[in-house]
Amino acid sequence: MAETSSPAPVRRALRVKPATREDKIFFGVSTAAGYSSLVLIILILIFLGIQAWPTFAQQGILEFVFGTGWSNAEEQYSIGPMLWGSLLVATIGVILAVPMAISIAYFIEFMATPRIRRIATLFIDLLAAIPSIILGLWGLEVFSYVGAEWGQMLNASLGFIPVFSNVAESFLRTPFIAGVVIAVMIVPIISSVTREIFSQVDDDLIKASIALGGNSESTFRRVILPVSASGITGGVLLGLGRALGETVAIFFVLNLVFDSYNWFNILEPGGGAIASLILGQFGEATASEVSALLAAGVILFLMTLVINSIAAFIVSRAQPWNNR
Amino acid sequence: MNLEPAARPETAEPWARTTARARVLQIAGSILPIAISLFAWLIAGVNPIVVVLLVLLPTLLISIGTVGFILKGKRGIPDAALIVMTFFLGAFVMVLLVSVVWSLLEAGFRALSPQFIYQNNTYVTPTDGLEFGGVGHAIIGTLLVVGLSTLITVPLGLATGVYLTETRSNGRGFVRVILQAMAGLPSVVAGLFIYSVFIVTGISQYAGWLGALALVPLMLPTISRVTEESLKLVPQELRNGALGLGASSWKAFFQVTMPAAKSGIVTAILLGVARVVGETAPLLLTVFPIAGTNLNLLSGGMATLPTYIYRFVALGFDTSVARAWGAALVLMILVGILFGLARYISRPKSLKKKKVKR
Repeated sequence: MAETSSPAPVRRALRVKPATREDKIFFGVSTAAGYSSLVLIILILIFLGIQAWPTFAQQGILEFVFGTGWSNAEEQYSIGPMLWGSLLVATIGVILAVPMAISIAYFIEFMATPRIRRIATLFIDLLAAIPSIILGLWGLEVFSYVGAEWGQMLNASLGFIPVFSNVAESFLRTPFIAGVVIAVMIVPIISSVTREIFSQVDDDLIKASIALGGNSESTFRRVILPVSASGITGGVLLGLGRALGETVAIFFVLNLVFDSYNWFNILEPGGGAIASLILGQFGEATASEVSALLAAGVILFLMTLVINSIAAFIVSRAQPWNNR
Repeated sequence: MNLEPAARPETAEPWARTTARARVLQIAGSILPIAISLFAWLIAGVNPIVVVLLVLLPTLLISIGTVGFILKGKRGIPDAALIVMTFFLGAFVMVLLVSVVWSLLEAGFRALSPQFIYQNNTYVTPTDGLEFGGVGHAIIGTLLVVGLSTLITVPLGLATGVYLTETRSNGRGFVRVILQAMAGLPSVVAGLFIYSVFIVTGISQYAGWLGALALVPLMLPTISRVTEESLKLVPQELRNGALGLGASSWKAFFQVTMPAAKSGIVTAILLGVARVVGETAPLLLTVFPIAGTNLNLLSGGMATLPTYIYRFVALGFDTSVARAWGAALVLMILVGILFGLARYISRPKSLKKKKVKR
């Protein structure tokens, strides 16, 4: 190297960490806020867990979750039927919602002209914006009667299949009706995730498929669906989590039966949902019952947390462009 | 040198071209089944659900399938099935949506009157007619509770958005997943949480501010996700420019990045508020609904629109349910205003962002 002074500036240390006090505070506060959501979830678990502990200790966790019966007189509480009811209603909702949501997403992304796309998106956003209590009110006052009629027809035509059998007189307040109301609620969730995934499917793949002689159906079945399958799965799980946590709407339209399982008779009045159980029993609960309700809350929370985390993980893996 | 891009050849995308003959066939193929179904419903008097499932759907499949076969040969048939199923299921959702909106408007407007908006419910029994009392106290309560909740959540949500976009921390992916999982937090659990922290332990009685706290975990994910999206749309060059001119990171954020993302952040707040304004369960567990007006968030009961609806539906009289429909319409109008504002504010940005598709 020449010993004369070089024109290049002196090397200096590259700083990648915040140096000034203001920057440290700025980044410190934002990092703290970022982790506040995690702290919040842990706090929820701890506080609910503390209050719920007497119930778990007295009943045993397994007995509480899978047992049967809800009685203040014997202080015996189990949420087995409610847990199963939650799953049953959510399953009906998801089964009904998935085809509708995928159709809407396909229509908006691949069939509609820009103008119609805007209108359809507006409608779906409107559906997503309706508060669940209004859907519950609609379910109770308007849809219940239509749904009961549908149930009656299903029973009349397919009643020989055990799922659609009905030995009760009434077709009102059934898991089927609750499932349809839930489906209306989660269609926008699933379709918005699906739409996001569809819109990012590589256009070249679609063009290639058409150029190779595929029609829209085979392109959809062989190209678009496989590419977006994981993202759609995530969206469906997000919808499932929402369905499990739905409270007021199910409380309005479903007949809660605490002490017996309704395994699969979706057209018979009677079923359950954990969130609705909490709401329904809370008003005149005794001290030990409050603890049991909080314990039910813990179970509900853990269940939805696991499902939603898996869903969020799948969706974020399916949308790598969101994680820059 | 000619820098104009080459003109698009006339023969591009031959599959997308339609001829007049195809149009006529398609329209005829769609109208015929509808006509048959209308005939079956109106003239033959078959039950409408049976008509839709057993007449409309099969005839649509057959006629559109035939059209597809004429136009594209054998591979037009599954295409037709796809199109028919998509439209059918989409239309089904639309019917449900229209039913919800229509019953809301129809039953809601019957209850609505100026007095219903501004009066409160003191001295009104559930069986009283709609000429007495109203939801004024519930509107005020909703605005107070949600307002306090917004004041708490917005700084937290903004800072979370900043964490997700402005830092290079390794924990961001994890926090994203947590936020997404939190977006699915059952609202009743949020209520139980506040109940177990403040009411079971005896720190406080039922009060408005507890309701506001219970709404925080429900609002936080929406605000931080949408804030993140809008901050991401700010070009990296703006930040680098500010930093290159010697600004410190926080100045670069507050004087350059945040003003650039202003409309997105306002949208985030509006969407967050719209998300929680209709939440019922957390408020039922933390705020005692009363019939009178209460402006004090720190003590005493407070009515909110969702709990008002819940209470009057639960009472079960015809008049009380009519009141609930009125309150539901007021709530929906409130949500609609919030969403409309959010869409209006974020519109220019989203139009610019939208890429031209095919």
